Amino acid sequence: MTAFILRRLAALLPMLLAVTLLVFALMSLAPGDFLTPVKAQRDINPALIAELQKSFGLDRPWYEQYALWLGNVLHLDFGYSWTYKVPVAQLIAQRAPATILLSLTSLLLAWTLAIPLAVLAAARPGGWIDRLTSAAAYFALAIPEFFLALLAVWMAARTGWFPIGGLTSLDHDFLSPSSKFFDIAYHLILPTLVLGLGGVAGTLRVLRANVLDVLQSEYVTAARAKGLSEKVVLFRHVLRNALNPLLSTIGYAFAGLLSGSLLVENVMNYPGLGRLVYEAFIREDQFVVLGSVVVGCSLLIVGNLISDLALAWSDPRVRYGR
Amino acid sequence: MHFRTLLLLALVAVTPQACAPKAKEVRPNHPLPRGLDTSRAEPGRRGGVFIDSTPGEPSTFNPLVSEDATSSGFIGLFLDSLVHNNPVTQEVEPGLASRWQIAPDNKTFTFHLRPGVLWSDGHPFTADDVVFTFQAIYDPRFPNRAAFDLSVDGKKFTIEKIDELTVRLTTPEIYAPFLETVGGVGLLPKHELEPAFRDGSLLKAWNVSLAQKEPRRLLATGAFRLRSYQPAERIVFEANPHYWRADAQGVRLPYVDYLVTKLVKDANASTLAFATGQTDAEGLSPDNVAWIDRYASRYGFSVFNRGPSPNTGFIWFNQNPGRDTSGKPFVAPHKLTWFTDRRFRQAISHGIDREGLVRGVLFGRGQPLWGPETPANKKWYNPNVTQYPYNPARSKELLAQAGFQLGPDRKLRDRLGNVVEFTLNTNQENQLRANMATAFKENMRDLGITVNLSFLDFGTLVGKIQDSYDYEAGMLGLTGGGDPAGGISVFSSKGRLHQWYPNQKTPATPWEARIDQLMSDQLHTLDYPTRKKYFDEVQKIMSDETPYIYLVTANAYVGLKDRWKNIRIPPLGSLIWNLDELWTPLLTP
Repeated sequence: MTAFILRRLAALLPMLLAVTLLVFALMSLAPGDFLTPVKAQRDINPALIAELQKSFGLDRPWYEQYALWLGNVLHLDFGYSWTYKVPVAQLIAQRAPATILLSLTSLLLAWTLAIPLAVLAAARPGGWIDRLTSAAAYFALAIPEFFLALLAVWMAARTGWFPIGGLTSLDHDFLSPSSKFFDIAYHLILPTLVLGLGGVAGTLRVLRANVLDVLQSEYVTAARAKGLSEKVVLFRHVLRNALNPLLSTIGYAFAGLLSGSLLVENVMNYPGLGRLVYEAFIREDQFVVLGSVVVGCSLLIVGNLISDLALAWSDPRVRYGR
Repeated sequence: MHFRTLLLLALVAVTPQACAPKAKEVRPNHPLPRGLDTSRAEPGRRGGVFIDSTPGEPSTFNPLVSEDATSSGFIGLFLDSLVHNNPVTQEVEPGLASRWQIAPDNKTFTFHLRPGVLWSDGHPFTADDVVFTFQAIYDPRFPNRAAFDLSVDGKKFTIEKIDELTVRLTTPEIYAPFLETVGGVGLLPKHELEPAFRDGSLLKAWNVSLAQKEPRRLLATGAFRLRSYQPAERIVFEANPHYWRADAQGVRLPYVDYLVTKLVKDANASTLAFATGQTDAEGLSPDNVAWIDRYASRYGFSVFNRGPSPNTGFIWFNQNPGRDTSGKPFVAPHKLTWFTDRRFRQAISHGIDREGLVRGVLFGRGQPLWGPETPANKKWYNPNVTQYPYNPARSKELLAQAGFQLGPDRKLRDRLGNVVEFTLNTNQENQLRANMATAFKENMRDLGITVNLSFLDFGTLVGKIQDSYDYEAGMLGLTGGGDPAGGISVFSSKGRLHQWYPNQKTPATPWEARIDQLMSDQLHTLDYPTRKKYFDEVQKIMSDETPYIYLVTANAYVGLKDRWKNIRIPPLGSLIWNLDELWTPLLTP
């Protein structure tokens, strides 16, 4: 098992190398650099621009810059953000909790809604629950997240039922701890719905198919023949076995939520990694972009690893060894 | 059980939310300093929260690092300077220095600091802090913008401490904008930042991380001090308990308890926050005024016209005669002949319907512009520059004089038979500018000139203008206003933003040489009328020679909630420059 984990983590290295190299090359091809806005200001001395260029290493070819960055990464130094003058790792750590919180609530929403609905839908294929959830799922899958986010913001602005973006209210600093909790929960509702809805639909479709499959198994017939109630059959025997394929997609789902949150966060003014990364891209703050790419890739790999391990834990037929 | 959680969330959604912070804290009552400054504004009442919003994020709270207006704006709230520039009168006023003398040599300035002023942590503010600040700025370990602003021809100012409350600054040459530039320098606390100065980490001090974790360590001499910073959400400032200004009744300013700035994604989000009553003040662009005004009575705000903005917009032709590394000229030689002909440029200028641009693009909210300064810059604007009213007949006359002829196919040709055609580059992000480029193309068609429009990413455009020079014509804007010294990089032929032909070794034309001389002369005298005379001539030459064909200037608008008193709206700069004097009888918005 340990060997398996180590092998998977080792596979991360060449991938990160390739991805960061690609990102670096693409960024150097893009017109302008971090100092372009500074150059366009009329009262900045050219000598200062030259000095800044030198201190950022922007006067060297991109492959040299990349080699330097790589050398620093080996010492676990991901560089400084040029904009904020703060280590990249610190900056990402500052913003990541909000994004992870949103991803987790969305995942939770997807699973808590999708699992019971999928089981109920599959229990009577073609019944009204099945038809209704199918229609809703197709509808939800067809709407792009950013559009849903725009709709949500528009709805919030029109009705005033929900805050227009953000994670906390203006008076958050002055609230009691319990009010702070409710304040955050209140602000999370819309982004969670927007980000989670696609997940609900996807999970629902996959799980419904699995449950239908498992329902054909002989042990289900056996369980029914034993006289178990339909509820016990469905939720204890069928669901357990139907969940396995879903466990193996949880890693992808999590990584997908992170990339989805990039759009949703920007539309909904949500203070997470998405906005940081987007701004860093626009400003060409190289090391922040690279740092976030590294985090994104690592999350994808680690997420997949975790789902593989979860599968091994829940399904005795799956064993990783030599 | 999960359903129950959801139900709970739904319940929370219906509970009413308070909109404004309710102050539960009592402001400490420290004795007023001996060197107190008494505000002449109408005495008001303490309390209340001022809410505004800003697009983007501060990138730092360290004045040595800050290069963008957002960060500098926040720094200006808590770090005060020796003197202030009053944006309404455009005069220099006392700040942390209550008075100053200029020696007869016009190079030595002696500043007397206010006695008894304390930093927000209670530590006294003295001459040591001023000396420390200048040491930090000039230290080569910390490259920063102020070091270049505070030097003449690469030579630094010298600073010496006379006693605890007196400092003397000497400039190597007479330096005209001395008080204005010194006015902009936020003074740093020596007792707090000296360790970082010693170990060379000063540029990393007072970064956004520290602001988030220990906001109180960003010591203040200004009206406010930082209370909390939530990245991408908001910044909360609170009244500095040791601020050195009070009103006529001896009440320490500022009146407001808190200043909350929402950090939003872009200018649209910021405008929207104001239009829906969430913020107290907002600068508005002319195309937004009409629809926002409709919400004025519902949310209790008013929209004010500040008059012409300091922003200029112009078209120019690339007059750079150089060649790229492969030996190819930047501009085709026959086109360079047109572009360097003053009559050609004047003909183009006469061919532009600026009134039409104001009506069609700015909805009547602007005015034609003829020179490098707009009327917003009251102190330096020269109204008597050469104007080029819309007159296609005059254009044709000038073109004929320069040897251009309109063929039977309605196309203009030069003496050698080349069809007159050029590509105008502008940046795609600015919609108003794109509309103006399109209107310009129509105007030029009437003269028989074909204009191709190219909308580029801002970075690409700047690259073309400043590095590769491979373009024919450009359209951009600059933020003018302020002291003429700020325009040296534009007007001087050595300048980096002398866009039609930047970084010249020797002036290419006699009039550029004359401008160089005038810009240098105005810098080396402290006498305002003399400087004004020189700079007036620069503006006149710019309009005569039209290297920049100025277009229009939009009016600037601001929206402001009616509940605020003591508002004085300046023509330039920040709307809420006198935030310490604002007060409101209505504590909730």
